[in-house]
Amino acid sequence: MGESGPDNILELIGVTMDYGQVKALNDVSMTVRRGEWLSIMGPSGSGKTTMMNIVGCLDRPTSGRVILDGEEISRLGGRALTTIRRDKIGLIFQQFHLAPYLTAVENVMLAQYYHSLPDEEEAMAALSRVGLSERAGHLPSQLSGGEQQRVCIARALINHPMLILADEPTGNLDEANEHMVLDIFRQLHSGGSAIIVVTHAHDVGARAERVVMLEHGRIAGIVEGRGIHGHRHDDAHA
Amino acid sequence: MGLRAGKRRIWLKMLSASLLRRRSRVIAALAAITIGATVLSGMLSVYWDIPRQLEREFRSYGANLVLVPSGEVGVMGLRAMRRAASLLPADRVIGVTPYRYETLSINRQPFTAAGTYLDEARRTNPYWRLEGEWPASDEEMLMGADAAGHIGAAPGTRVRVSGRGRNNRPFAGEMTISGLVRSGGPEDAMLFMEMSMLESLTGTRGEANLVDISVAGSEGELRKMADASRESVTSVTPRLLRRVVGSETAVLAKLRYLVFLVTVVALALIFICVATGMLTSVMERSREIGLKKALGADNAAIMGEFLGEGAVLGIAGGLLGSFAGYFFAQLIGISVFGRSAAFEPLTIPAAVAVSVLTTALAALPPVRRAADIEPAVVLRGE
Ligand SMILES: Nc1ncnc2c1ncn2[C@@H]1O[C@H](COP(=O)(O)OP(=O)(O)OP(=O)(O)O)[C@@H](O)[C@H]1O
Ligand SMILES: [Mg+2]
Repeated sequence: MGESGPDNILELIGVTMDYGQVKALNDVSMTVRRGEWLSIMGPSGSGKTTMMNIVGCLDRPTSGRVILDGEEISRLGGRALTTIRRDKIGLIFQQFHLAPYLTAVENVMLAQYYHSLPDEEEAMAALSRVGLSERAGHLPSQLSGGEQQRVCIARALINHPMLILADEPTGNLDEANEHMVLDIFRQLHSGGSAIIVVTHAHDVGARAERVVMLEHGRIAGIVEGRGIHGHRHDDAHA
Repeated sequence: MGLRAGKRRIWLKMLSASLLRRRSRVIAALAAITIGATVLSGMLSVYWDIPRQLEREFRSYGANLVLVPSGEVGVMGLRAMRRAASLLPADRVIGVTPYRYETLSINRQPFTAAGTYLDEARRTNPYWRLEGEWPASDEEMLMGADAAGHIGAAPGTRVRVSGRGRNNRPFAGEMTISGLVRSGGPEDAMLFMEMSMLESLTGTRGEANLVDISVAGSEGELRKMADASRESVTSVTPRLLRRVVGSETAVLAKLRYLVFLVTVVALALIFICVATGMLTSVMERSREIGLKKALGADNAAIMGEFLGEGAVLGIAGGLLGSFAGYFFAQLIGISVFGRSAAFEPLTIPAAVAVSVLTTALAALPPVRRAADIEPAVVLRGE
C-alpha cells in the first residue's frame, strides 16, 4: 500500500468524504494496478458509490489525495475533472441512464459526441462487441434490462478509457444477462483495461483479482486472488 | 467524412427530442414568443410608418415655413421665391402658396385682398371652413366671414371692388363672392382671389409679400432646409413657424414613447414565459443533464444545447410574430389612427433578432441552473 508509480492506475491516500455528520468514506487508502480487475463489496451505505464518484471524477473528497494515472485529481476544478473523466474513465451505472429518445447506437455515439466526434462505424463495432449489433436501431424502451446495460457498457468503452467503473452493473439483471456482462468485462480485462466493479453479489465480486471490503466508510479487508466463494463476509443483506 | 454529419445528427436528434417531447411546454413558450414578436413587429411598423403619415397630415394643418422678402422692400420676385422653394426636397413639399397683398375697397370699406394661387392655397389651408364654393373663375373670390359680415355679403353676392394700383392709378371691377372663409385667424377679415386677377386689377406683376410653405419634416430638418435656402437665395428670408412645429414634434415623440413602452411590456412577457418554461425543463431533465456531464459534456456544451433550443424558439416565434405583426399593425393603424401602416420588410429581421436576443437572455438563468447540476447527486437517485 502507498507505493505509487507507473504500475498504478489509481491511488487513494487517506481519502475522507463527509456529508454533514455522515462520514461516507473515512481515511481510505488503496491502490489499483493498471489493467487490474478489482471488486468493491460492502453493505448498503458503506460508501461504495461515494468512492466510485470520487474515482470517477464526479465528486471531490473532503480530504485526502486521489492520484489517477499519475495525476493528483482530488483538488482539481470542475472543468479539469470533466476533461479527465471524458478521456480516462468509462462509467457504468446501476440504473443504466440511457437517453430514452436516442437509439442504442446513438446512445453510444453520445459519449463520442462529448468526447470528440461521433463515429457510427465505431459505435456499431462497440455494440457488436456486447452482442447488440442487431438492436442498434432500437430505443432503450424497446430493449430488455440486460440489453440496456450492455448498451451502457458499449458506451463506457467507446472512448477507450484506461479505467472502467461499474456501480452494481448486474444488480438489475438476471443470471443469463449477468453472465453476459461479466463475459464482456473479462474480455475488456484481457484487453488491458482496468476495471472496478461495485457489487453486492459474491459470484460477481469473485471474478475480480482482488476484492476490497468496505464497512462504514473504512476498508475492512482486501482479499487477494480469485475464489472468495466460501470466504464468509457480511454483505448488504444484513 | 461522416463524422461531422454524425455530430449534426446527434445534435439535431437531441434538439428535436427535447422540443417534441415536452410539446405542450414548448408550445406555450413558442406562443409567448410569437405574441411578443407580434406586438414587437406590429409596434415597429406603427412606429416607422404612422408618424411619417401623421407628419404629413399635421403639415396639412397649415404652413410651417414662410418666406418673406429680405430687407425693407416688402415684396419679393416670384422667380426668387420659386428658386428658394425649389431647394426644398420635392417629395416633402405639400404646398407652396405665395400671397400678394393689396388694399381694396368694397362699399367704401377697406379690406386687405390677397392674390394667390387658389389651388395651392386650398392645399396649404385644408382647415379653412368654407361656406359656399371655391372660385371657379377669375371673376370669383373668397371673402373672410367677418369681412362679409361687415358689408352683409353672402355666397353669390356680386360686389364692386376699387382701389389704387401701380403708380397710384385707380382701378375698379365687378366680382362675385363664391364662398366665405372661416379660419379663426386673420383670414376671416380678408379677401382671396387669383393672383392673375389681382395683378390685372392693380397692374403689378410677378411679386409676392409672403409665401406660405407646408413641408413634412422634423424641426431639425426644417431648420436645415431654411438655412439652405437662406444661404443661396438672399432676396428671400425663410422663417420657421416654430410653435406649430414644436407641438407636432412633441405629439409624435409621445406616440413613439407609447409604442416603446408597449414593446417593453411584450418583451418582458417573452422573458418571463421563456425563463420559467426553461427552468421547469432544466429541473425535469436534471438527470439527463447529469448523465451528459458524466459522459464528458462540459458546461459550455450543456449551455450551448439550451441556448440552441432557445434560439430555435426565438427564430420560429420571431418569424410567426412578424407575420402576425403585419396584421396587428393594420389593426392598430386602422382602429387607432384611421390609416393602414405600410409594410416595412425590415421589421422581419428586427423582430427575429430581438426575439432571439430576448429568448437567449431569458434562457440564461435556467442555463446557469443547468450548469450547476452535480452529476454525482442526480445520478445517485433511484
Ligand atoms: N449527497 C449526500 N448527502 C448526504 N449523505 C449522503 C449523500 N450521498 C451519500 N450519502 C451517505 O453516505 C453514505 C454512503 O453512501 P453510498 O451511496 O456511498 O453507499 P453505498 O455503499 O453505495 O450504498 P448502496 O449499496 O446502498 O448503494 C450513506 O450513509 C449515504 O446516506
Ligand atoms: Mg451505491
